[in-house]
Amino acid sequence: MGVISTSREGSTPDAAARPMMPRVPLVKTAVFGAVVLLLILLVVQPFGWVLYNSFHDDLSGAWTLGNYARTFQSADLVEPLVNSLILAVATAVIAIGIGVPLAWLVSRTDMPFRRTIRVLTLTAFVTPSFIGATGWILLAAPNSGWLNALWRLVAGADAGPLLNIYSMAGAIFICGIYTVPYSFTMVSSALDEMAVELEDAAATLGSGTLRTMLSITIPLVTPAVIASFILSFIQGLTLFGVPAFLLTPTGIPVVTTKLAEFYQQFPPEIFMAAAYCMPLLLVTAMLFWMRRRILGRKQYVTISGKTRAGRQIHLGGARWPMFFAALLMPLFSVLLPYAALLLVSLTRAWGQGLSWENLSLYWYWWALFGNSETLTAIVNSLLFSTLGATLCIALGTVVAYIVERRMMPGARLLGAVATVPIIIPGIVLSVGFFAAYTRAPLNLYGTPMLLIAAFAATFLPIAYAHGGAILKGIGPDLERAARSLGAGEGRTFLSITVPLMGGGLVSGWFLVFIPIIRELSVAVFLITPKTNVMTTLIYNAKDGGNYEAVCAMSVLLLLMTLLLVAVARPLAQLTGARRTSRKAAEAAGVVPA
Amino acid sequence: MMEFSRRRLLKTTGLVGTALLSGGLAGAAFSRIAAASVADDPLYAAAKKEGKLTLYWGSYEQQTMEEIRDAFKAKYPGIDVNLLRQASQTVYTRLRMELQNGVYECDSLGTTNLLHYTELKKVGALASFEPADAVNLPDAFRNLDPDMMYHVGAISLTSINYAPRKVSAPPTSWQALLEDQWHGKITTGSPASSGDVANWVVAIRRKYGDDFLRAFGKQKPKVGQSNVDTVTDILSGERVVGSGAPFSYTLTQKAAGNPIDVVAPSDDAILNLGVTGVLAKAPHPNAARLFTNFLYSKEVSQILQKNFWPTLRKDVAWAEGRSLDQLKWYRNTGDDLGPEVAEGIAKWKELVR
Repeated sequence: MGVISTSREGSTPDAAARPMMPRVPLVKTAVFGAVVLLLILLVVQPFGWVLYNSFHDDLSGAWTLGNYARTFQSADLVEPLVNSLILAVATAVIAIGIGVPLAWLVSRTDMPFRRTIRVLTLTAFVTPSFIGATGWILLAAPNSGWLNALWRLVAGADAGPLLNIYSMAGAIFICGIYTVPYSFTMVSSALDEMAVELEDAAATLGSGTLRTMLSITIPLVTPAVIASFILSFIQGLTLFGVPAFLLTPTGIPVVTTKLAEFYQQFPPEIFMAAAYCMPLLLVTAMLFWMRRRILGRKQYVTISGKTRAGRQIHLGGARWPMFFAALLMPLFSVLLPYAALLLVSLTRAWGQGLSWENLSLYWYWWALFGNSETLTAIVNSLLFSTLGATLCIALGTVVAYIVERRMMPGARLLGAVATVPIIIPGIVLSVGFFAAYTRAPLNLYGTPMLLIAAFAATFLPIAYAHGGAILKGIGPDLERAARSLGAGEGRTFLSITVPLMGGGLVSGWFLVFIPIIRELSVAVFLITPKTNVMTTLIYNAKDGGNYEAVCAMSVLLLLMTLLLVAVARPLAQLTGARRTSRKAAEAAGVVPA
Repeated sequence: MMEFSRRRLLKTTGLVGTALLSGGLAGAAFSRIAAASVADDPLYAAAKKEGKLTLYWGSYEQQTMEEIRDAFKAKYPGIDVNLLRQASQTVYTRLRMELQNGVYECDSLGTTNLLHYTELKKVGALASFEPADAVNLPDAFRNLDPDMMYHVGAISLTSINYAPRKVSAPPTSWQALLEDQWHGKITTGSPASSGDVANWVVAIRRKYGDDFLRAFGKQKPKVGQSNVDTVTDILSGERVVGSGAPFSYTLTQKAAGNPIDVVAPSDDAILNLGVTGVLAKAPHPNAARLFTNFLYSKEVSQILQKNFWPTLRKDVAWAEGRSLDQLKWYRNTGDDLGPEVAEGIAKWKELVR
């Protein structure tokens, strides 16, 4: 701000004559400067501390390479790395394998109840995966799981379990279905924005629906597919709750559960934990490098000044079968586990089983009014998520724009910086934020700003990746037109690019908002009694074994988030830039009506 | 001048007010000697001046801890209490990072691991303080530290729990858990995640050596994280017997109407002490001392009794008339348990899973 106002005061008469267009380089410098500064404060500094820590010895505090040597030499530490990679690849394959077709069905076809499927998939997104895992433990634990009990009714009491959630397959299943919403949201928003002329061309040339989808539609959204593949992969690497609940009982260690051990033992090995994350960084960097190889020379521009999206593909007789197939995903990720959680939350003492005497709303009463913490935590969760998501999406979009349009030297480096946080598991990141924000220049410790900054930084990669995927689809023609008519870069961005990104930005906001509201690990060392959030409360209740409370609070968290999404989405669409800008563009003759 | 006279005026009014008040309350005061002693307590006066107290506590679950906090606030109005209740190791790691970064937020630390306090004492991070009411503690747990840097904050027992509807004759000793009939039926926590389970592993190795762990591993127990998971597994029906199980928490769940019960093993329940200390650089040192002393009050022991925790006073019995004398117990003692715990965890990983 300061820079801008000084520049105004000292502006040339020429600039003063055009008050609407301040001198471009100064504004540009100011904006870029602010972006770089924010990235340094939010990402470089905390990550720098993680890196710095990784080269230090936990006991003596001296410089060492010992942590890295241990990471690659000890079989105890290599095994979890391998397991984590298996889990991550499988998670990403499931997320893409289910998420992409589902997105296509919902965005581009006339499948019945598309909105319902969309909302239910979003509901899965709202669910913290450790809560999903809890629900599935109730359903598919080998001896007590309700689905297994049903199976024994059919197959006989001595039959072995049909499902065993305590297994690698179980963990992959849970990680997969709770990661589908990532790929679903990213790909469906790309599909929503996509032009149809190429599809039309294919249809004209006699290509069938399936062939058009496979050879035209899906390849056109490759950037979104790859971005969501990488995100899902990273999810599989960094999730803690699911492996902690499902893999610990079978003795399969993964990186995040091993990290938790570093923190839980005495004395804690915080610096060792920092070093132990670095292989994840390496693997993910390789993925991004592969992405560049794949996307590098191709063009994915589908939004230009010439066409508009919105054609539906008729599924014909496959409509209903497709609907039932699409319903499986919400069935597994939402309906079944929440049914289990709901039943437990409605019992006074869940070990008593289901009976009329045991039925009670007590735990809901308790969660809302019986203790002083929940209401504060609900308010905090909503407030931090809203502010964090807004900051995150604003910064992520601008960075994506700078990178995609190569607007400054070293732009790609900015992109790399914006991608780093998500690869570092939350608990390690938490220590980085702690170190960065308990000292000058940004001493935020104990304030809500600390959590907001940490949340925004943690999910910046999602905002950035999402913004990048949308921008890849928006042709620079309209921007060039604006530029050649004399608009500055800032103005072009605000009045052309942002409106064109419109709907995508809204979905991007939710893509960040929801993970923030359900985030647990990052908050661990940052919350204070006054800035407690819902997930830490739920985890505390789980830690204390209070299952009914866990379930009741989980259901409340879900309802609360859904309510907010229900209110915010139409609101965002009503006031959102997209429609108005399109109308304005139509009126101005830029976009054909 | 003006300020001087105003101050004098205030002072005079204060004096007159106090005189009137004490005169008026004199009659009531006789019947409320306890209340009067709280008001006269110089520690309370100093704590009230500080006006705030920040607790980093991992001992006791959320609900009990909140009740203790609320009772403290009721007894000592004017002190705002901030309670950070997370797992013991989490609050300790947080405190450690704060100290390393020169942040002084925490007044009183309460965790389930004695090692935290020996480390803090070594670096001079604890303040010495002798809580007057600690004389009420059971004799075995008094003067935990000769220098009065840390004190007992909680007593917890590790035992065996089971599903009474499915098990008519539960195992009554640790050794009995190795019988064939419990193969595939046992649930337990992990020593790598739970301090109580680690403590149990150390004790069981002292008693029976690694042979016990080897045979225990052959029983194919389900290893969760916290020892609380044993209760969850028994209530859900996934397993029927829990080893290294929390005594108090199981009784709480039983009282809530859940079909679960607890056995104090004949070859000793394993006792672990929760410890508490006042930080040397506590921003509210007097409030922290007041709180430490409050832990040994009747109020707190009654709260503990209600929540099925062993009480911190000889004169307040445990819930259902239980007491420490009625059961056989064992506590890991020794100056440096650290390496023994690490060794126990390593052996566990080798032999149990």
